[in-house]
Amino acid sequence: MAANGIKANHTLDCKGLACPMPIVRTKKAMDQLDPGHVIEVEATDKGSLADIQGWAKNTGHHYLGTVHEGEVLKHYIRKASAGEAQPERKFPRIVSNEELEQVLASAGKPTILDVREPAEYAFSHIPGAKTIPLGELENRVGELSQEEDIYVVCRTGTRSDLACQLLESKGFARVHNVEPGMSGWAGASEREA
Amino acid sequence: MTKVAIIASNGGLFDAYKVFNIATASAATEAEVAIFFTFEGLNLIHKEAHAQLPLPAGKEQFAEGFKAANVPGIPQLVEMAQELGVKMIACQMTMDVMNLPKEAFIDGIDVGGAVTFLDFAKDANVTLSF
Repeated sequence: MAANGIKANHTLDCKGLACPMPIVRTKKAMDQLDPGHVIEVEATDKGSLADIQGWAKNTGHHYLGTVHEGEVLKHYIRKASAGEAQPERKFPRIVSNEELEQVLASAGKPTILDVREPAEYAFSHIPGAKTIPLGELENRVGELSQEEDIYVVCRTGTRSDLACQLLESKGFARVHNVEPGMSGWAGASEREA
Repeated sequence: MTKVAIIASNGGLFDAYKVFNIATASAATEAEVAIFFTFEGLNLIHKEAHAQLPLPAGKEQFAEGFKAANVPGIPQLVEMAQELGVKMIACQMTMDVMNLPKEAFIDGIDVGGAVTFLDFAKDANVTLSF
């Protein structure tokens, strides 16, 4: 757990290292990481800010953001999973990002459930969205009401699809999967980091 | 997959950093990398020479800078490049001219001619010469 409250599954210390070491170390650490998990890379190399983003773009991993703490740059990257690009979708009730924006504009305050990892949520989320990472959802369904419409979002619609299926199996009839989710979100968002 | 083809034809410390920084950074970004070492470039993979490459004349003061910036040593970068799967090809013709056997070089390299490199470089996305 990082001091700034952003939760990562693994922290990699690259402080004091010069190019290309932060990238080489990140690649090696990422190979050991489970898909979907978030790595925090601490570096003092100023060039790492641009390098990490370029690296993530070229390797297909998801760069979440960077926090500056004095001389130290803390980069957050989520490891992509192999099947993320073409997931098998099963949950039938889907709303688009635009439809959710309309609901937000007209219906006041629907429940938005963000099932991404806390680090992803921290860098950008829909204002008022409730955060429960997919991995914790089963134990925390009690925090949700079956009497309300629940719009479930993640980054691309894959994890939220699984979350919708899980909620349906727990008796929630009014859940909607938002597609694609935060990767294409053009509406209001806020950042906590 | 991105392919990066590099020709190393100079044998100083600056040259070595240019070659191996690009090579390791590319390989860590999941590119397929091959380096062709020719003429003085062979110093960069010579068993003894690669650990004590000279700074350019008049630039000796930068030795301090390398230390201060905590830049990894060339042997460490070479080892890393090999771990990351960078293919290293020593130029057979230069080895013959300079009378250097394969044993004079670090382990894990290939020896080949210009066509060995061209075969790799012909469909490379990035080609660099140092």
